[in-house]
Amino acid sequence: MSMKNPALSTSLIKEKKWSFDIQTILFSLLKKVSLPILVFVVFVGGWELFCRATGIAHYILPAPSDIYLAAVANSENLLGAMFVTISSALMGFIMSVVLGISGAVLLASSKVIEKALYPYVVLLQTIPIIAIAPIIVIWFGAGTNAIVIIAFLIGFFPMLSNTLVGLNSTDSNLRNLFSLYNASKFQTMWRLRLPAALPYIVAGLKISCTLATIGVIAGEYIAGIGGGRGGLGYAITVAASNIQTAYLFACGLAASVLGIGFFLIINYISKLLLSSWHESEMDQQ
Amino acid sequence: MTVKTKNVLVNMSGLSKIFPNGTTAVKDVNLEIKEGEFICFVGPSGCGKSTIFKMITGLEDHTNGELEIFGHSPDEARKQNEVAFVFQDHTLLPWKNVRDNVALPLQLKGVSKKERYAEAERVLELVGLAHTTTMLPRELSGGMKMRVSIARALVTRPRLLLMDEPFGALDEITRQSLQEELLNIWQKDSSMTVLFITHNVFEAVYLSSKVAVMTPGPGKISSNIEVPYAYPRGDQFRTTPEFGELVGDVSKVLDH
Ligand SMILES: Nc1ncnc2c1ncn2[C@@H]1O[C@H](COP(=O)(O)OP(=O)(O)O)[C@@H](O)[C@H]1O
Ligand SMILES: [Mg+2]
Repeated sequence: MSMKNPALSTSLIKEKKWSFDIQTILFSLLKKVSLPILVFVVFVGGWELFCRATGIAHYILPAPSDIYLAAVANSENLLGAMFVTISSALMGFIMSVVLGISGAVLLASSKVIEKALYPYVVLLQTIPIIAIAPIIVIWFGAGTNAIVIIAFLIGFFPMLSNTLVGLNSTDSNLRNLFSLYNASKFQTMWRLRLPAALPYIVAGLKISCTLATIGVIAGEYIAGIGGGRGGLGYAITVAASNIQTAYLFACGLAASVLGIGFFLIINYISKLLLSSWHESEMDQQ
Repeated sequence: MTVKTKNVLVNMSGLSKIFPNGTTAVKDVNLEIKEGEFICFVGPSGCGKSTIFKMITGLEDHTNGELEIFGHSPDEARKQNEVAFVFQDHTLLPWKNVRDNVALPLQLKGVSKKERYAEAERVLELVGLAHTTTMLPRELSGGMKMRVSIARALVTRPRLLLMDEPFGALDEITRQSLQEELLNIWQKDSSMTVLFITHNVFEAVYLSSKVAVMTPGPGKISSNIEVPYAYPRGDQFRTTPEFGELVGDVSKVLDH
């Protein structure tokens, strides 16, 4: 029976395994996280004790409880700033994904174009973003536009170069197969090279989403708010100039929460995208 | 004894290939292949077997001599979709299920989904994998993947089927059952011609109506050995004295 219908029998096995595994999964999860949590508790507790024992000034080193209180007191500002930052980061990220992938497809579809343009793409990448940020502000105005473009520029290159490497590393037997069946250039790109590059594209997504968050916060530093609502980077500059150290810490924490959250979401989407890939195929890449 | 028509399908005369780096891969190959034949190319690695196949499919140009397939140039013949190819590696797309993989050549030709699925199911039936249509390649064993790969080659109803060491990576038991299936499929379609590369002398003699024995330095066909034994052959052929003699003949040419 198992020979006749392997699909059925494997799905049965999977189900069984799943219900059996749920306990072990919970247990191993607990084992995995319990140590880091312990470290966290010890660290935060030690910090709190240190502040109280030494009576160090709040504006130099706020205690964890001060940071928490500052976050709660400014929660509306903080959440608003987080929202502004994540919106800009998302826009910059989407731009870098769309333009990075299309740029890579363009470069990969012709050896001549690739040879002519790629050196300049690399060259552009080596210019530090801080150096060209003022030009971006002059061109696009202070505020959201400039911020999104800075985030885009930072995330663009990893997206482009990863996709390009992926597009150029298609298995030569598979390319022969497509030539043999008279596939057009477009068919080879769309049905073979792009899907085959997916693991590389996904790696690019993970890098770019992290960079986009960093890019936005840096951009908000440089480009200000230009009349719009400020994001975390702006909140940080304000808190710093007012020496609201506890709130400054809260903003920093919020920024890392954003970055991690964004990464986890992209990581999850990546897993879905690659669901039909086998690990062994991933390893080959 | 199967009766097969005798049109000349592939004609090679004085065929040579010198790669740009100066390697002479094959030199002065003469061979006439008739419709319905099953020819095995056997020889040590590096003697130019794959190069001959690449020239037949037009993936590589030949540098000297003549090569005609159905009276056309390799490129024209390929564009007519009557040549199919099976590689040693199964070359299935990991992100497509079995049916979509098999239907790929038709999809590239622009055949409608309904039609190409019907054809895919027909050839999957032929290789005994009708129950795997929606499975992904990773869920299949090595032998099953090779069957899917063969099904994909058959889906365009080719007149000429080229197979480059297709069973080289399989275990002996799977290999023998696939040999059997391949012969069955070939016999059902009397107009299909199969060219089969192997470095296994036993496999060559068992399968083919004619063995083209190749030797290196530079690559050439040293001898054509007819295998005058009726199909269907069945496992008992492997134990007959004729089989042993033919294997001996082929090996002798290879040892020179
Ligand atoms: N693209 C190539 N460029 C240069 N030499 C090649 C190329 N492809 C194959 N050759 C050489 O041609 C000879 C025949 O190769 P091949 O046809 O692959 O042999 P076989 O399939 O019989 O093992 C070998 O010496 C190989 O190194
Ligand atoms: Mg070879």
